[in-house]
Amino acid sequence: MPVIEIDAQDAVFDCAPGDTLLRAGLRAGLGMPYECGVGACGCCRCEVIEGEVADQWPEAPGLSDRDRRKGRVLACQTRPLGDARIRLRLDPRIEPVVRPARRTAWLAAVNDITHDIREFVFRSDAPADFLPGQYAMLALPGLDRERAYSMANLPNGAGEWHFRIRRVIGGGASEALFSQLAPGAEIGLDGPYGMAWLRTDSPRDIVCIAGGSGLAPMLSVARGVAAEPSLAGRRVDFFYGGRTPADICGQPELAALPGFGEAIHYHAAVSDADAAHSAGWPGKIGPIHQLVESTLGERLDSAEFYLAGPPPMVEALQQLLQLTHKLPPERIHFDRFF
Amino acid sequence: MKQLCTTRDVPAGGCHRIELADRPPLAVFNLDGRFYVTDDTCTHGEASLCDGEIDCDDGVVECPYHQGAFEIATGRPAGAPCSIPLRIYRVEVKDEAIYAAIDETEAACP
Repeated sequence: MPVIEIDAQDAVFDCAPGDTLLRAGLRAGLGMPYECGVGACGCCRCEVIEGEVADQWPEAPGLSDRDRRKGRVLACQTRPLGDARIRLRLDPRIEPVVRPARRTAWLAAVNDITHDIREFVFRSDAPADFLPGQYAMLALPGLDRERAYSMANLPNGAGEWHFRIRRVIGGGASEALFSQLAPGAEIGLDGPYGMAWLRTDSPRDIVCIAGGSGLAPMLSVARGVAAEPSLAGRRVDFFYGGRTPADICGQPELAALPGFGEAIHYHAAVSDADAAHSAGWPGKIGPIHQLVESTLGERLDSAEFYLAGPPPMVEALQQLLQLTHKLPPERIHFDRFF
Repeated sequence: MKQLCTTRDVPAGGCHRIELADRPPLAVFNLDGRFYVTDDTCTHGEASLCDGEIDCDDGVVECPYHQGAFEIATGRPAGAPCSIPLRIYRVEVKDEAIYAAIDETEAACP
Protein backbone atom coordinates (compact mmCIF):
# COMPACT_ATOMS: atom_id res chain seq x y z
CA MET A 1 0.00 0.00 0.00
CA PRO A 2 1.50 3.40 -0.96
CA VAL A 3 2.72 5.53 1.95
CA ILE A 4 2.16 9.27 1.57
CA GLU A 5 4.17 11.86 3.43
CA ILE A 6 3.08 15.47 3.75
CA ASP A 7 6.12 17.69 3.43
CA ALA A 8 7.15 19.66 6.55
CA GLN A 9 3.93 18.73 8.38
CA ASP A 10 5.03 15.58 10.19
CA ALA A 11 2.11 13.63 8.74
CA VAL A 12 2.26 10.22 7.07
CA PHE A 13 -0.66 8.09 5.92
CA ASP A 14 -1.39 4.91 3.96
CA CYS A 15 -3.32 5.12 0.72
CA ALA A 16 -5.48 2.06 0.01
CA PRO A 17 -5.58 0.82 -3.59
CA GLY A 18 -7.92 2.95 -5.67
CA ASP A 19 -8.09 5.75 -3.10
CA THR A 20 -7.25 9.35 -3.91
CA LEU A 21 -4.79 11.37 -1.84
CA LEU A 22 -7.67 13.35 -0.34
CA ARG A 23 -9.80 10.45 0.76
CA ALA A 24 -6.85 8.48 2.15
CA GLY A 25 -5.73 11.52 4.14
CA LEU A 26 -9.22 12.06 5.55
CA ARG A 27 -9.55 8.38 6.41
CA ALA A 28 -6.35 8.82 8.44
CA GLY A 29 -8.03 11.69 10.32
CA LEU A 30 -5.95 14.51 8.80
CA GLY A 31 -7.26 18.07 8.31
CA MET A 32 -6.96 17.98 4.51
CA PRO A 33 -8.52 21.12 2.96
CA TYR A 34 -11.43 20.36 0.58
CA GLU A 35 -15.04 21.18 -0.10
CA CYS A 36 -16.64 19.44 -3.08
CA GLY A 37 -14.49 16.32 -3.38
CA VAL A 38 -15.37 16.06 -7.09
CA GLY A 39 -12.75 18.25 -8.81
CA ALA A 40 -14.77 21.43 -9.09
CA CYS A 41 -13.95 23.81 -6.22
CA GLY A 42 -10.15 23.69 -6.21
CA CYS A 43 -9.84 23.68 -2.41
CA CYS A 44 -7.69 20.52 -2.27
CA ARG A 45 -4.87 21.70 -4.57
CA CYS A 46 -1.45 20.30 -3.68
CA GLU A 47 1.99 19.70 -5.14
CA VAL A 48 3.58 16.31 -5.63
CA ILE A 49 7.26 16.61 -4.71
CA GLU A 50 8.28 12.97 -5.04
CA GLY A 51 6.64 9.88 -6.44
CA GLU A 52 4.45 8.91 -9.38
CA VAL A 53 0.77 9.75 -9.40
CA ALA A 54 -2.15 9.32 -11.79
CA ASP A 55 -4.52 12.21 -12.35
CA GLN A 56 -7.97 10.77 -13.02
CA TRP A 57 -9.33 14.08 -14.36
CA PRO A 58 -6.55 16.34 -15.75
CA GLU A 59 -9.08 18.83 -17.18
CA ALA A 60 -10.87 19.26 -13.83
CA PRO A 61 -12.32 22.78 -13.54
CA GLY A 62 -10.87 23.14 -10.03
CA LEU A 63 -7.40 23.82 -11.50
CA SER A 64 -6.55 27.17 -13.09
CA ASP A 65 -3.89 27.77 -15.74
CA ARG A 66 -1.66 29.18 -13.02
CA ASP A 67 -2.12 26.00 -10.97
CA ARG A 68 -1.19 23.84 -13.95
CA ARG A 69 1.84 26.03 -14.68
CA LYS A 70 2.96 25.47 -11.11
CA GLY A 71 2.47 21.72 -11.42
CA ARG A 72 -0.38 21.51 -8.93
CA VAL A 73 -2.87 18.68 -8.79
CA LEU A 74 -6.18 18.18 -7.02
CA ALA A 75 -5.86 15.79 -4.09
CA CYS A 76 -9.44 14.64 -4.76
CA GLN A 77 -8.55 13.54 -8.32
CA THR A 78 -5.06 12.12 -7.78
CA ARG A 79 -4.13 8.52 -7.04
CA PRO A 80 -0.57 7.62 -6.01
CA LEU A 81 1.12 4.85 -8.00
CA GLY A 82 3.61 4.24 -5.17
CA ASP A 83 5.04 6.03 -2.16
CA ALA A 84 4.86 9.82 -2.55
CA ARG A 85 5.68 13.06 -0.82
CA ILE A 86 3.21 15.94 -1.28
CA ARG A 87 2.99 19.55 -0.18
CA LEU A 88 -0.15 21.11 1.24
CA ARG A 89 -1.17 22.94 4.41
CA LEU A 90 -3.09 20.81 6.90
CA ASP A 91 -5.71 22.63 8.95
CA PRO A 92 -6.26 21.09 12.40
CA ARG A 93 -9.60 22.90 12.67
CA ILE A 94 -11.07 20.78 9.89
CA GLU A 95 -9.94 17.31 10.95
CA PRO A 96 -12.85 14.98 10.17
CA VAL A 97 -15.12 14.35 13.15
CA VAL A 98 -16.31 11.13 11.53
CA ARG A 99 -13.65 9.51 9.36
CA PRO A 100 -14.99 8.51 5.94
CA ALA A 101 -15.19 4.81 5.05
CA ARG A 102 -16.26 2.76 2.03
CA ARG A 103 -19.35 0.59 2.34
CA THR A 104 -21.65 -1.42 0.15
CA ALA A 105 -25.28 -0.26 0.18
CA TRP A 106 -28.52 -1.51 -1.32
CA LEU A 107 -31.45 0.52 -2.63
CA ALA A 108 -34.31 -0.02 -0.17
CA ALA A 109 -37.03 2.42 -1.29
CA VAL A 110 -37.80 5.27 -3.70
CA ASN A 111 -40.29 8.07 -2.87
CA ASP A 112 -41.48 10.97 -5.03
CA ILE A 113 -40.93 14.39 -3.41
CA THR A 114 -41.65 16.89 -6.22
CA HIS A 115 -42.19 16.61 -9.98
CA ASP A 116 -38.44 16.15 -10.48
CA ILE A 117 -36.96 15.26 -7.06
CA ARG A 118 -37.07 11.76 -5.59
CA GLU A 119 -35.89 10.38 -2.29
CA PHE A 120 -33.66 7.32 -2.58
CA VAL A 121 -33.23 5.28 0.57
CA PHE A 122 -30.16 3.04 0.74
CA ARG A 123 -29.27 0.57 3.46
CA SER A 124 -25.79 -0.53 4.52
CA ASP A 125 -24.70 -3.24 6.95
CA ALA A 126 -22.56 -0.81 8.92
CA PRO A 127 -24.20 2.07 10.83
CA ALA A 128 -24.92 5.30 8.92
CA ASP A 129 -22.30 7.37 10.67
CA PHE A 130 -22.18 11.07 9.71
CA LEU A 131 -22.93 14.60 10.94
CA PRO A 132 -26.14 16.38 9.87
CA GLY A 133 -25.38 18.32 6.66
CA GLN A 134 -22.68 16.01 5.27
CA TYR A 135 -22.58 14.14 1.97
CA ALA A 136 -21.45 10.79 0.59
CA MET A 137 -19.89 9.69 -2.69
CA LEU A 138 -22.05 7.21 -4.55
CA ALA A 139 -20.55 4.80 -7.06
CA LEU A 140 -23.47 3.95 -9.34
CA PRO A 141 -23.50 1.08 -11.82
CA GLY A 142 -22.44 2.13 -15.32
CA LEU A 143 -20.87 5.48 -14.37
CA ASP A 144 -17.14 6.07 -14.43
CA ARG A 145 -17.04 8.81 -11.79
CA GLU A 146 -18.66 8.86 -8.36
CA ARG A 147 -21.23 11.53 -7.56
CA ALA A 148 -21.63 13.50 -4.33
CA TYR A 149 -25.08 13.53 -2.70
CA SER A 150 -26.06 14.87 0.72
CA MET A 151 -27.95 12.86 3.31
CA ALA A 152 -31.38 14.22 4.27
CA ASN A 153 -31.81 12.08 7.37
CA LEU A 154 -29.90 11.78 10.64
CA PRO A 155 -27.11 9.36 11.51
CA ASN A 156 -28.51 6.03 12.64
CA GLY A 157 -27.49 2.57 13.72
CA ALA A 158 -29.80 0.91 11.20
CA GLY A 159 -27.52 1.88 8.29
CA GLU A 160 -30.15 4.00 6.49
CA TRP A 161 -29.04 6.70 4.08
CA HIS A 162 -31.66 9.03 2.58
CA PHE A 163 -30.77 11.09 -0.50
CA ARG A 164 -32.91 13.59 -2.43
CA ILE A 165 -31.93 13.64 -6.02
CA ARG A 166 -33.16 15.88 -8.80
CA ARG A 167 -33.69 14.38 -12.20
CA VAL A 168 -31.48 16.10 -14.72
CA ILE A 169 -32.41 15.12 -18.27
CA GLY A 170 -29.20 13.87 -19.88
CA GLY A 171 -27.47 13.89 -16.49
CA GLY A 172 -25.83 10.48 -16.31
CA ALA A 173 -26.03 9.99 -12.55
CA SER A 174 -29.62 11.02 -12.01
CA GLU A 175 -30.72 9.09 -15.13
CA ALA A 176 -28.96 6.01 -13.76
CA LEU A 177 -30.82 6.41 -10.48
CA PHE A 178 -34.24 7.32 -11.85
CA SER A 179 -34.54 4.83 -14.66
CA GLN A 180 -32.13 1.98 -14.06
CA LEU A 181 -31.78 1.34 -10.35
CA ALA A 182 -34.37 -1.03 -8.86
CA PRO A 183 -34.84 -1.86 -5.18
CA GLY A 184 -32.18 -4.30 -4.08
CA ALA A 185 -29.59 -2.84 -6.46
CA GLU A 186 -26.08 -2.64 -5.03
CA ILE A 187 -23.95 0.54 -5.03
CA GLY A 188 -20.72 1.74 -3.45
CA LEU A 189 -21.11 4.40 -0.76
CA ASP A 190 -18.12 6.31 0.60
CA GLY A 191 -18.51 8.87 3.32
CA PRO A 192 -19.16 11.01 5.15
CA TYR A 193 -17.60 14.10 3.59
CA GLY A 194 -18.24 17.82 3.78
CA MET A 195 -17.68 20.79 6.03
CA ALA A 196 -21.20 22.23 6.26
CA TRP A 197 -22.27 20.14 9.25
CA LEU A 198 -24.35 21.31 12.19
CA ARG A 199 -22.28 23.08 14.85
CA THR A 200 -24.02 22.04 18.06
CA ASP A 201 -21.67 24.15 20.18
CA SER A 202 -22.70 27.46 18.58
CA PRO A 203 -24.97 29.54 20.84
CA ARG A 204 -26.55 31.35 17.87
CA ASP A 205 -29.93 31.04 16.23
CA ILE A 206 -29.80 28.90 13.11
CA VAL A 207 -30.72 29.80 9.56
CA CYS A 208 -30.88 27.10 6.86
CA ILE A 209 -31.23 28.23 3.25
CA ALA A 210 -31.83 25.71 0.48
CA GLY A 211 -32.53 25.72 -3.23
CA GLY A 212 -32.93 22.83 -5.66
CA SER A 213 -31.65 19.53 -4.30
CA GLY A 214 -29.90 21.49 -1.54
CA LEU A 215 -33.00 20.60 0.44
CA ALA A 216 -31.44 17.33 1.65
CA PRO A 217 -28.53 18.62 3.74
CA MET A 218 -30.56 21.52 5.13
CA LEU A 219 -33.29 19.12 6.18
CA SER A 220 -30.66 17.02 7.91
CA VAL A 221 -29.34 20.10 9.75
CA ALA A 222 -32.85 21.13 10.88
CA ARG A 223 -33.62 17.57 11.96
CA GLY A 224 -30.31 17.52 13.80
CA VAL A 225 -31.28 20.66 15.74
CA ALA A 226 -34.63 19.14 16.72
CA ALA A 227 -32.98 15.90 17.83
CA GLU A 228 -30.19 17.50 19.87
CA PRO A 229 -31.20 18.00 23.55
CA SER A 230 -28.68 20.82 24.06
CA LEU A 231 -30.40 22.78 21.25
CA ALA A 232 -33.95 22.39 22.61
CA GLY A 233 -36.00 25.50 21.84
CA ARG A 234 -33.31 26.98 19.55
CA ARG A 235 -34.83 29.14 16.82
CA VAL A 236 -34.44 27.76 13.29
CA ASP A 237 -35.48 29.79 10.24
CA PHE A 238 -35.63 27.50 7.22
CA PHE A 239 -35.77 29.06 3.76
CA TYR A 240 -36.44 27.30 0.48
CA GLY A 241 -36.15 29.01 -2.88
CA GLY A 242 -37.52 27.47 -6.06
CA ARG A 243 -38.07 28.68 -9.60
CA THR A 244 -41.76 27.74 -9.80
CA PRO A 245 -44.41 26.83 -7.20
CA ALA A 246 -44.05 23.17 -8.29
CA ASP A 247 -40.43 23.25 -7.09
CA ILE A 248 -41.26 24.30 -3.54
CA CYS A 249 -40.73 21.56 -0.97
CA GLY A 250 -39.59 20.82 2.56
CA GLN A 251 -42.50 22.16 4.62
CA PRO A 252 -44.14 18.79 5.39
CA GLU A 253 -40.86 17.38 6.71
CA LEU A 254 -40.24 20.43 8.90
CA ALA A 255 -43.83 20.44 10.14
CA ALA A 256 -43.22 16.93 11.46
CA LEU A 257 -40.49 18.21 13.81
CA PRO A 258 -41.25 19.06 17.43
CA GLY A 259 -41.32 22.84 17.89
CA PHE A 260 -42.54 23.63 14.36
CA GLY A 261 -44.32 26.98 14.32
CA GLU A 262 -42.76 27.94 17.65
CA ALA A 263 -38.99 27.55 17.42
CA ILE A 264 -38.83 26.22 13.85
CA HIS A 265 -40.14 28.39 11.01
CA TYR A 266 -40.45 27.67 7.29
CA HIS A 267 -40.30 30.37 4.58
CA ALA A 268 -40.44 29.89 0.81
CA ALA A 269 -40.12 32.09 -2.26
CA VAL A 270 -40.59 31.50 -5.98
CA SER A 271 -38.27 33.36 -8.35
CA ASP A 272 -40.22 33.07 -11.62
CA ALA A 273 -43.02 35.68 -11.30
CA ASP A 274 -44.91 34.49 -14.39
CA ALA A 275 -44.96 30.90 -13.17
CA ALA A 276 -46.03 32.13 -9.73
CA HIS A 277 -48.94 34.14 -11.13
CA SER A 278 -50.18 31.48 -13.51
CA ALA A 279 -50.14 28.89 -10.70
CA GLY A 280 -51.90 31.25 -8.31
CA TRP A 281 -48.95 31.13 -5.88
CA PRO A 282 -50.04 32.98 -2.74
CA GLY A 283 -46.55 33.32 -1.24
CA LYS A 284 -43.48 35.46 -1.74
CA ILE A 285 -41.98 36.09 -5.17
CA GLY A 286 -38.31 36.91 -5.71
CA PRO A 287 -34.83 35.55 -5.13
CA ILE A 288 -34.42 33.78 -1.82
CA HIS A 289 -31.71 36.11 -0.51
CA GLN A 290 -34.21 38.99 -0.54
CA LEU A 291 -36.68 36.98 1.51
CA VAL A 292 -33.89 36.06 3.94
CA GLU A 293 -32.95 39.70 4.46
CA SER A 294 -36.51 41.03 4.81
CA THR A 295 -37.65 38.17 7.08
CA LEU A 296 -34.71 38.14 9.46
CA GLY A 297 -34.12 41.88 9.78
CA GLU A 298 -31.74 42.54 12.67
CA ARG A 299 -31.64 38.87 13.62
CA LEU A 300 -29.58 38.25 10.48
CA ASP A 301 -26.46 39.73 12.03
CA SER A 302 -26.33 37.33 14.97
CA ALA A 303 -27.26 34.02 13.32
CA GLU A 304 -25.30 30.95 12.20
CA PHE A 305 -25.92 30.18 8.50
CA TYR A 306 -26.08 26.90 6.59
CA LEU A 307 -26.46 27.08 2.81
CA ALA A 308 -27.00 24.48 0.09
CA GLY A 309 -28.15 25.09 -3.44
CA PRO A 310 -27.25 26.17 -6.96
CA PRO A 311 -24.05 28.26 -7.25
CA PRO A 312 -25.86 31.53 -8.16
CA MET A 313 -27.97 31.22 -5.01
CA VAL A 314 -24.95 30.56 -2.79
CA GLU A 315 -23.07 33.41 -4.47
CA ALA A 316 -25.91 35.89 -3.88
CA LEU A 317 -26.19 34.81 -0.25
CA GLN A 318 -22.45 35.17 0.28
CA GLN A 319 -22.64 38.70 -1.09
CA LEU A 320 -25.54 39.48 1.24
CA LEU A 321 -24.01 37.94 4.35
CA GLN A 322 -20.32 38.68 3.93
CA LEU A 323 -20.27 41.93 1.97
CA THR A 324 -23.47 43.71 3.00
CA HIS A 325 -23.76 42.42 6.57
CA LYS A 326 -20.04 41.77 7.26
CA LEU A 327 -20.57 38.33 8.74
CA PRO A 328 -17.28 36.44 9.19
CA PRO A 329 -16.92 33.38 6.92
CA GLU A 330 -16.72 31.12 9.99
CA ARG A 331 -20.43 31.68 10.57
CA ILE A 332 -21.48 30.69 7.05
CA HIS A 333 -21.33 26.96 6.32
CA PHE A 334 -21.61 25.46 2.84
CA ASP A 335 -19.83 23.09 0.51
CA ARG A 336 -19.25 24.59 -2.88
CA PHE A 337 -20.52 22.48 -5.78
CA PHE A 338 -20.68 23.69 -9.36
CA MET B 1 -4.20 58.31 6.69
CA LYS B 2 -2.53 56.07 9.22
CA GLN B 3 1.13 55.14 9.15
CA LEU B 4 1.47 51.36 9.09
CA CYS B 5 5.20 50.74 8.69
CA THR B 6 8.18 51.80 6.60
CA THR B 7 9.21 50.57 3.17
CA ARG B 8 12.13 48.71 4.78
CA ASP B 9 9.63 46.50 6.65
CA VAL B 10 8.28 45.02 3.42
CA PRO B 11 10.73 43.02 1.30
CA ALA B 12 10.40 43.18 -2.48
CA GLY B 13 7.93 40.53 -3.61
CA GLY B 14 6.89 40.03 -0.01
CA CYS B 15 4.41 41.28 2.52
CA HIS B 16 4.15 42.43 6.09
CA ARG B 17 1.25 41.91 8.50
CA ILE B 18 0.04 44.85 10.57
CA GLU B 19 -1.96 44.16 13.73
CA LEU B 20 -4.00 47.12 14.94
CA ALA B 21 -6.31 47.34 17.93
CA ASP B 22 -10.05 46.89 17.33
CA ARG B 23 -9.87 45.88 13.69
CA PRO B 24 -8.88 42.88 11.58
CA PRO B 25 -5.19 42.73 10.58
CA LEU B 26 -3.88 44.34 7.39
CA ALA B 27 -1.37 43.13 4.82
CA VAL B 28 1.15 45.47 3.19
CA PHE B 29 2.50 44.14 -0.13
CA ASN B 30 5.57 45.20 -2.12
CA LEU B 31 5.27 44.39 -5.81
CA ASP B 32 8.44 45.61 -7.52
CA GLY B 33 8.63 48.71 -5.35
CA ARG B 34 4.93 49.53 -5.47
CA PHE B 35 3.12 49.18 -2.16
CA TYR B 36 -0.45 47.95 -1.63
CA VAL B 37 -2.55 47.49 1.49
CA THR B 38 -5.38 44.96 1.83
CA ASP B 39 -7.14 43.09 4.60
CA ASP B 40 -4.93 40.20 5.72
CA THR B 41 -7.71 37.66 6.33
CA CYS B 42 -8.85 35.60 3.35
CA THR B 43 -12.53 36.19 2.51
CA HIS B 44 -13.06 32.44 2.12
CA GLY B 45 -11.96 31.36 5.58
CA GLU B 46 -9.83 32.25 8.53
CA ALA B 47 -6.31 32.38 7.08
CA SER B 48 -3.59 35.03 6.96
CA LEU B 49 -2.70 36.03 3.42
CA CYS B 50 0.73 37.10 4.67
CA ASP B 51 1.41 33.37 5.16
CA GLY B 52 0.50 32.74 1.52
CA GLU B 53 2.47 32.74 -1.68
CA ILE B 54 2.89 35.96 -3.66
CA ASP B 55 3.10 35.69 -7.41
CA CYS B 56 4.71 38.94 -8.56
CA ASP B 57 4.31 38.24 -12.28
CA ASP B 58 0.55 37.89 -11.93
CA GLY B 59 0.29 40.37 -9.06
CA VAL B 60 -1.68 37.90 -6.97
CA VAL B 61 -1.49 36.50 -3.46
CA GLU B 62 -2.61 32.95 -2.76
CA CYS B 63 -4.24 31.85 0.46
CA PRO B 64 -2.04 29.33 2.28
CA TYR B 65 -4.91 26.89 2.96
CA HIS B 66 -6.76 26.49 -0.32
CA GLN B 67 -4.58 28.47 -2.76
CA GLY B 68 -7.54 30.64 -3.59
CA ALA B 69 -6.14 33.89 -4.97
CA PHE B 70 -6.68 37.65 -5.06
CA GLU B 71 -5.30 40.41 -7.27
CA ILE B 72 -3.28 42.47 -4.83
CA ALA B 73 -3.89 45.83 -6.52
CA THR B 74 -7.66 45.48 -6.87
CA GLY B 75 -8.69 42.84 -4.30
CA ARG B 76 -10.51 41.00 -7.06
CA PRO B 77 -10.84 37.24 -6.54
CA ALA B 78 -8.41 35.53 -8.95
CA GLY B 79 -8.80 31.85 -8.19
CA ALA B 80 -11.37 29.44 -6.74
CA PRO B 81 -12.61 29.04 -4.08
CA CYS B 82 -12.37 32.79 -3.39
CA SER B 83 -15.38 34.69 -4.74
CA ILE B 84 -15.78 37.59 -2.33
CA PRO B 85 -13.37 40.46 -3.10
CA LEU B 86 -10.67 41.38 -0.62
CA ARG B 87 -10.96 44.84 0.87
CA ILE B 88 -8.24 47.20 -0.36
CA TYR B 89 -7.05 50.56 1.00
CA ARG B 90 -5.64 53.70 -0.61
CA VAL B 91 -1.90 53.95 0.00
CA GLU B 92 0.59 56.85 0.19
CA VAL B 93 4.34 56.57 0.63
CA LYS B 94 6.18 59.59 2.10
CA ASP B 95 9.84 59.54 3.09
CA GLU B 96 9.87 55.74 3.33
CA ALA B 97 6.77 55.71 5.54
CA ILE B 98 3.74 53.76 4.27
CA TYR B 99 0.32 55.22 5.05
CA ALA B 100 -3.11 53.74 4.33
CA ALA B 101 -6.58 55.24 4.38
CA ILE B 102 -7.91 52.64 6.78
CA ASP B 103 -10.87 54.73 7.95
CA GLU B 104 -12.16 55.58 4.51
CA THR B 105 -15.46 54.06 3.53
CA GLU B 106 -14.87 50.95 1.58
CA ALA B 107 -13.06 51.34 -1.71
CA ALA B 108 -15.29 49.39 -4.05
CA CYS B 109 -13.63 46.60 -5.96
CA PRO B 110 -13.38 47.90 -9.55
